Amino acid sequence: MAVDTGTPTITQAEITGPGAWWCSGCGDFGVTAAFKTAMLTLVNDLEIPKESVFIASGIGCSSKEPEMLRLNSYHGQHGRSIPVAMGVAMANPSLVVVDFGGDGDSYAIGMEHFVHACVRNVNMTLIVMNNQVYGLTKGQASPTAHVGLRTGSTPEGRKGRPVNPLRLAIAAGAAFVARGVSWNKKDLTKLMNQAISTRGFSLLDVFSPCVTYHREPGFRGSGPIVDWFRQNYVLDIQDAWRDMRDQVLTDDERVQLPAEYDPTSPDAAMSGLRLIEAASGMGREVTGLLLVDESQPTLDENLGVSAERPPALADISLASNREGNQALLADLR
Amino acid sequence: MRAVQICGAGRAGDGTNTNIFTLGQTLKDRGAWVFMWREEVYSNIQTRDSAFGLRAADQPIYGSDDEFDILEAFDRGALFDLNGEGRIPPIARLRDGGVLLYDTSPRLDYPNASFEISPDMVADLVRDKGIRAFGLPMGQMAKEQFQRYILRGSIALGVLGHLLDIPEEAFLHRLSKTFGEGSELLTLNARALSAGRRYAEEQGWQLPDMRLPFVPQAEDERQLLLGNEAVGAASIMSGCRFYAGYPITPASEILEYMSEKLAAFGGVVIQADSEMAAAHHVIGASVAGARAMTATAGPGFSLMQEAISGAGMTETPMVVVVSQRGGPATGLPTRVGQEELNEVVFGSHGDIARIVLAASEPEDAFYTMGLVFNLADRYQCPVFLLLDQVLSQSNYTIPRLDPSRIVIDRGKLLDAEAVALAYGGNGKRYRRYELTDDGISTRVKPGTPGVTTVYTNTNEHTEEGYITEEAAVRSLMVEKRVIQRMVQIRDDQDLPSPRHFGPPDAPIGFIGYGSVYGPIQEAIEQLTSRGQPAGFLELRTLWPFPVQEVQRFVRQCQRVYVVEYSAGAQLRGLIQREATGPMPQKLRSILRYDGKVMTPGYVIGEVKEEA
Repeated sequence: MAVDTGTPTITQAEITGPGAWWCSGCGDFGVTAAFKTAMLTLVNDLEIPKESVFIASGIGCSSKEPEMLRLNSYHGQHGRSIPVAMGVAMANPSLVVVDFGGDGDSYAIGMEHFVHACVRNVNMTLIVMNNQVYGLTKGQASPTAHVGLRTGSTPEGRKGRPVNPLRLAIAAGAAFVARGVSWNKKDLTKLMNQAISTRGFSLLDVFSPCVTYHREPGFRGSGPIVDWFRQNYVLDIQDAWRDMRDQVLTDDERVQLPAEYDPTSPDAAMSGLRLIEAASGMGREVTGLLLVDESQPTLDENLGVSAERPPALADISLASNREGNQALLADLR
Repeated sequence: MRAVQICGAGRAGDGTNTNIFTLGQTLKDRGAWVFMWREEVYSNIQTRDSAFGLRAADQPIYGSDDEFDILEAFDRGALFDLNGEGRIPPIARLRDGGVLLYDTSPRLDYPNASFEISPDMVADLVRDKGIRAFGLPMGQMAKEQFQRYILRGSIALGVLGHLLDIPEEAFLHRLSKTFGEGSELLTLNARALSAGRRYAEEQGWQLPDMRLPFVPQAEDERQLLLGNEAVGAASIMSGCRFYAGYPITPASEILEYMSEKLAAFGGVVIQADSEMAAAHHVIGASVAGARAMTATAGPGFSLMQEAISGAGMTETPMVVVVSQRGGPATGLPTRVGQEELNEVVFGSHGDIARIVLAASEPEDAFYTMGLVFNLADRYQCPVFLLLDQVLSQSNYTIPRLDPSRIVIDRGKLLDAEAVALAYGGNGKRYRRYELTDDGISTRVKPGTPGVTTVYTNTNEHTEEGYITEEAAVRSLMVEKRVIQRMVQIRDDQDLPSPRHFGPPDAPIGFIGYGSVYGPIQEAIEQLTSRGQPAGFLELRTLWPFPVQEVQRFVRQCQRVYVVEYSAGAQLRGLIQREATGPMPQKLRSILRYDGKVMTPGYVIGEVKEEA
């Protein structure tokens, strides 16, 4: 493969790593398959060189993602992939930064970083493989475990409300907020491509069932647990929109609303929050694309990071900085 | 050495700091070596007592002396423990026969004033300590003549100018730089100066015996700066282009300096959401290829331990400046301590290679900072520079700094050409943790054409960076990353070796690091000149520990005092662990943990007690 003849095309095999870390039937395989397909689009169609992709991850089953790939990666510590990814993105904004986290990683121990990354609108994509449990420590409840879920740490069933990452991301000002599901590769791949190409902070939360520790009575195994999600848990954002349109609004109000939910509408943030609330009132979680809003400046723009000569590529030689250094010296009293 | 030591004491926010700073700058302009420190600053913004120290000498000085020659008292708190909390007011350090300049204004409508000082309060002092007292209603004059209470500081400078024979132009030169030529504030301050001088002349006040020690200097031969400013400037000059930090005393000036200056160099500053975030931002930026750093103090440093472990495991260059204050926990945020030594040497989980250097004064900090970055790149590990509150937040006069002495060495970081040569088009796969003869693998900036997988991993990993738990690979990686690395670091000729001061065979020895450098220097000079020869070993590299130099020094002394701001005697513990063993008879401690600055008298006093 030549390196200096434009952008070469890549195959799935080239970006496939040696990793074998997940249980048979794990939802994370679906996420990985979708991501590789999204990568082919990124490199082969959008002509982003594959060496410009940077993967960050934390700790948890989901964070084994770099093992499944052959790309630049930082496989970090629990909850800290986001601040590492931010450092990469600010030091070299020409890199496409994708962070793979889990629900414990991003919404518990890494919550501080998650919320601030949304607020600051860091130009990066966070893909969270949300499975409601801590899989790698053998099945304790995570912040997104639904009410009543029995796990090793909630033998009587989870009490108290779970974290709702979509609501948090919208409220904190993320540029892109969506939820995919691991068993629908086509839609998930599309969401990934949209998330990566959105300028600003993208949250793509993905329901990626744990086939070993997410135990629903009567739904054991990889097929049945997906059935449980489909039958009892997920609600497509368009269905939620139609329900709301049909049930909540008067005829007068209804005619003013579009037939379809529009994630790019200026009202999307408020509508999205209402739909999340409405769904959760039914014990459901929405899926689909909730929000795309590129109107806000990104962190690198606010910090004035140079695209051509960012910190990682700065010429720091003394010869090139003599005048600047002399000015610094003169400013010291 | 000829030196004069002055204290300005008032209330936080009342201009006392500016008064002392302007005086110090003026004296530095006139040719004195000036040291200015925070004698008493509470962790608040206004309303508490505050005092600032100034020492001017005819030779370089790096610390305060025990007694003040002159005390400017702007508030009753300069003389009394107003709240009955056991506070020792600055007057306690005014020497017998010293000078007291005080504000006799009645308590005015000024939000931050506490109480006036009346002449009868001073009468006892004048009698008992032979103090020469000069009182005038500075606040009242400022308010009535200029409608600005804060100008009393300049009235005081006018009085001092007259008493100490400092020409008015010297102050005006400095004030014009502060306020700008032709500005209203300059005019007002100039008038306040004249008012003070005139008052002193009219009263016939004189102090012919007290003259300041000036040494003529060439233009710009010296500079006056904070330790934190030296660190900031040196970092940028050494190629730092990414700074992440969280505000914390006494390191915040570094964050502010970088925020002001780094952008002009194409650099980036992130004020992080916590020290945890800051440390991980630094790792990300460093992996991306930037020279990156953070600075913090004890509480923030504790939050960084996780990231430091990560940098050690991933062999990522990481620079952390730690300015120490009194601990533990929130402790004494604005006062000095040296309680982070154990954490910086032994902190974070797991075995990692690391380097810990310490600076004693701003010039040392300036030239050490470049080395800190080079060592981080050379050995791909966390490198720490230890400072303390006194060094960070005191103004020192130092010889003019010379950026051309800085050397930039990025170690085995491959540039684009080297990458193309090694990996371009030949199908050879880059391995981030390649096992090499010297145990150090090459680094490549992600995004460099020719290399598509730079895999940096906090799990135990293979040469390529993928997870492994194979015992044989694990052992090889630990040996490469920790054991072989520390041997190489130990052998590095650039590591600053301890500096020895005083007669070579002195029976009394002192060991210390950081800002205790100045007070110990003066202590050994005083002891030696009075017939008790004393030596001083100043440690500059604390890890890897300079075992042989310390052993040699301890061997040749009859008694060794380890001087440090730590109740737990952390430095002495390190010396015992690494170099000497317990040696309870020979190895003693001089500890200060009350938050006050070390002085030569404090050091000598401890020696006398044990002699």
